[in-house]
Amino acid sequence: MTLTLGKSATATRGGALSLEWRADGSLWAMWGEEERAVSVRRCFPWTEPARHLSLRDTDEEEFAFVRDPADLDQRSRAALERALAVAGFVFEVTQVLEIEEEVEIRRWRVETQQGPRTFQTRLDDWPRTLPHGGLLIRDLAGDLYHLVAPERLDRESRELLWAFVD
Amino acid sequence: MSTQQQLDDHIIERYTAQPTRLPAELRRQIEHAWQGAPVQLYALADLDQSLRLTVAWLALGPRHIAVAQRESTGWHVRSVERSRIEAIREAPGLSANTLTILGASGEPALALLRYTHRQRRAFENIRFVLEEQIQGHERELVDGDADRLYAESVARPIRDAQALVSGRQTAVIRRLLGYLKPYRRQLTLGMAAATVITLVSLVPPYLAGHLIDRVVRPAQAGTLSLVQAAKVAWLAVAAMALVYLVRQPAVHVRLRLMSIIGEWVARDLRSELYEHIQRLSLAFFSRKRTGSLITRVSADTDRLWDFLAFGVVDVSLSLVMLAGLGTVLLTLDWRLGLVMTLPVPVFCWLIYRHSEEITRLFIRAWRKWSRVTDVLSDTIPGIRVVKAFNQEQREIERFGERNEDVTAEFNRIHASWTRFWPLLMLGVHMMTVAVWVFAVPRLLGSGAQLPVGTFVSFLLYTTMFGAPIEVIGQMARTINRATTSAHRVFEVLDTEPEIRDVAEPVRLEPVHGRVTFEHVTFGYDGVRQVLRGVSFDVTPGELIGLVGPSGGGKTTIVNLIARFYDVSGGTIRIDGVDLRRLDTGHYRRQIGMVLQDPYLFHGTVLENIRYGSQEAPLNQVVAAAQAANAHDFITKLQHGYDTVVGERGHTLSGGERQRVSIARAILHDPRILILDEATSSVDTETEREIQQALERLVAGRTVFAIAHRLSTLRKASRLFVIEDGRLIEHGTHAELLAKPEGQYRHLYELQLQLQ
Repeated sequence: MTLTLGKSATATRGGALSLEWRADGSLWAMWGEEERAVSVRRCFPWTEPARHLSLRDTDEEEFAFVRDPADLDQRSRAALERALAVAGFVFEVTQVLEIEEEVEIRRWRVETQQGPRTFQTRLDDWPRTLPHGGLLIRDLAGDLYHLVAPERLDRESRELLWAFVD
Repeated sequence: MSTQQQLDDHIIERYTAQPTRLPAELRRQIEHAWQGAPVQLYALADLDQSLRLTVAWLALGPRHIAVAQRESTGWHVRSVERSRIEAIREAPGLSANTLTILGASGEPALALLRYTHRQRRAFENIRFVLEEQIQGHERELVDGDADRLYAESVARPIRDAQALVSGRQTAVIRRLLGYLKPYRRQLTLGMAAATVITLVSLVPPYLAGHLIDRVVRPAQAGTLSLVQAAKVAWLAVAAMALVYLVRQPAVHVRLRLMSIIGEWVARDLRSELYEHIQRLSLAFFSRKRTGSLITRVSADTDRLWDFLAFGVVDVSLSLVMLAGLGTVLLTLDWRLGLVMTLPVPVFCWLIYRHSEEITRLFIRAWRKWSRVTDVLSDTIPGIRVVKAFNQEQREIERFGERNEDVTAEFNRIHASWTRFWPLLMLGVHMMTVAVWVFAVPRLLGSGAQLPVGTFVSFLLYTTMFGAPIEVIGQMARTINRATTSAHRVFEVLDTEPEIRDVAEPVRLEPVHGRVTFEHVTFGYDGVRQVLRGVSFDVTPGELIGLVGPSGGGKTTIVNLIARFYDVSGGTIRIDGVDLRRLDTGHYRRQIGMVLQDPYLFHGTVLENIRYGSQEAPLNQVVAAAQAANAHDFITKLQHGYDTVVGERGHTLSGGERQRVSIARAILHDPRILILDEATSSVDTETEREIQQALERLVAGRTVFAIAHRLSTLRKASRLFVIEDGRLIEHGTHAELLAKPEGQYRHLYELQLQLQ
């Protein structure tokens, strides 16, 4: 069995974990007699984003741990995928329009799949190279910007990014 | 509108491309729907349900919340009564957060909003107020604060990271040059010397040309007598000698004066900055990184010295030099003058472009350099772990790889500048060749006549173009670097201390030590309250134990007693006088602190014990050390009380440092003493010794002691149990243990079980 109960869960181990979205707009996890509104945390958001998922209740306690969503029934899997889309959301950068240095910060103007965006990073905060390629930039507020394949961006974007990629 | 809010609005406008506040028409619409009740807080939900960027608002009023979404016909506003809200959930994600506002169980959500981390603080403010309401604690909000709180929550990460974003570059330079005012005389002299250097440098080539055309050639042609020619020639030689005799002392005066002025200005800035830093409130230090503040006092002022001593003069004189050269050359011969002067802007532009390119290369090299230093700062402090896991070889390889990488980048920089400068010089030489190309036919008699002397002057002037062109080309970078440093320095200087004395502050002489809290509320950010209506009255000489879970507000209470912050609501009185009316400096001299991690300064044991009482005689120092159980270990040290304890007292153990800090507090003889986990990080034997020392220290003073180990507070006059910002229980140890359902009893029993 690849599903385990979190330490806070007191339900019996009988039955399978199931997930569903309810009218209150939350994802609910049911296991045995116990059910809770949960949110999903990826344990390895960049190394293995699709597996090893922690389902946490409103007190941030782990209710259940899903090693592989394939072990869930189809309805639960679909519900989980919807939750993962929100939990794993980052801006996907499609074009870099401007990178300017100012006093103590670097100002970025980019086009993302979600729309145009400007953000700032500290001068000594460098983009992070991800395990499976791609770059991840964290702005001053904590929002993340993902460049899936910087080498496949347009020429101007590549030129602007040149100093930040290996 | 306050300056702070103007700055926040400016930041939002410039850096986020989102509205600086709730649109006025929407605000009116919401307040109309609420029968005129004001919007007290609001936040922007910038993601829609399919996670695309959007603009929607959540507003909070005294009795309602409203969610507004833009539709083709205008704003669609949905209001919900706050009384219907029964739960609120926030699900944080990597970049998308979801706030769900719930009514009765099983019913659809009252509101569901998605937003990025940029908006999260604003949402947290609203969430906090609603959670308070759900828990039955009404939170009074000041009407009219909504814009300020929204702007602050969005702008704050940028404001904290960047220095004085509102300052224009020219204004900053002007302000910086203002620091030269006190040295006007020296500056005038230095600038005059620099001007002399520039102008006299133009003389020798002119003299050479003049000598050839007016003396040598006429003498050779026999139109000027040899005696007359010799006389003029020697005069010219004397003039040349005079030029150099004037120039070199001027060089000396300029270098010496400008370096000294630069040092003076840097000294003034450093002193002003350091003095100002000492006066700033703790809130400022929690926002800024220590390293960044140290850099401002050291490296930034040093960079400003360089700019003021040399940058300003170099740039202005290079402009004068280029203008002078251009004028002289065009006057001598306008055709050749044009050949020489027209390419100058092109050279300046090329140097500018090159410095841009070099900057890009440096960014890449710095990034790789930071990877090298990452390995160093990881493995050198963590060398025991590296060795314990036998990872030396792996670390060597990791370092080697990054070292190779950064070397390649630095070599790329060297390749760039070593290619550029010879090419640029080739360009300058080509300018000389061009002068020859245009001049030779004229020298040989075709076209407009060109005297040989003028030609020679031109050749000599050619060699003088290089240096000013280089300075002008680098000018943008020089000014940028200086203004960056100036921004960082001025940001600190422009920060107002949050704790300020009233016009005629009261001095309590003597302080008896009565401390009264009257409905004290406090929040670090204006919305989330850390203390919620705390009231107590402590009489002089009482020992008060502050206990309760971490984050409950214990440290905030002692910070408020020390007036590191001012209360948000209610009053703190010392001997019946409002703390805000006291002379802060005088009052703090009556306060002593012994902290969990005692801070010793680099210096001797003696200097550290005397830190708050510099004039104390040695016998009192020894008595204080004896009372603190520190005398024995100090006398065993090779240099006794004169032992240098090193940076932060690292040559002493934790228990020894603590006892020195207790001796410091005893010698300081405060009326009000704060002990913050003073014995929590030492072993049992040391704790016993420290406990003995503390018992001597607390006698006859008002003491507030924070401790997690409840056994250490048995002798307290009273214990205050602080939880979630409230005083939930108080009484003696025995009284509190007698409460069967009491929180103190529960904590005490838990600790007993652990032992």
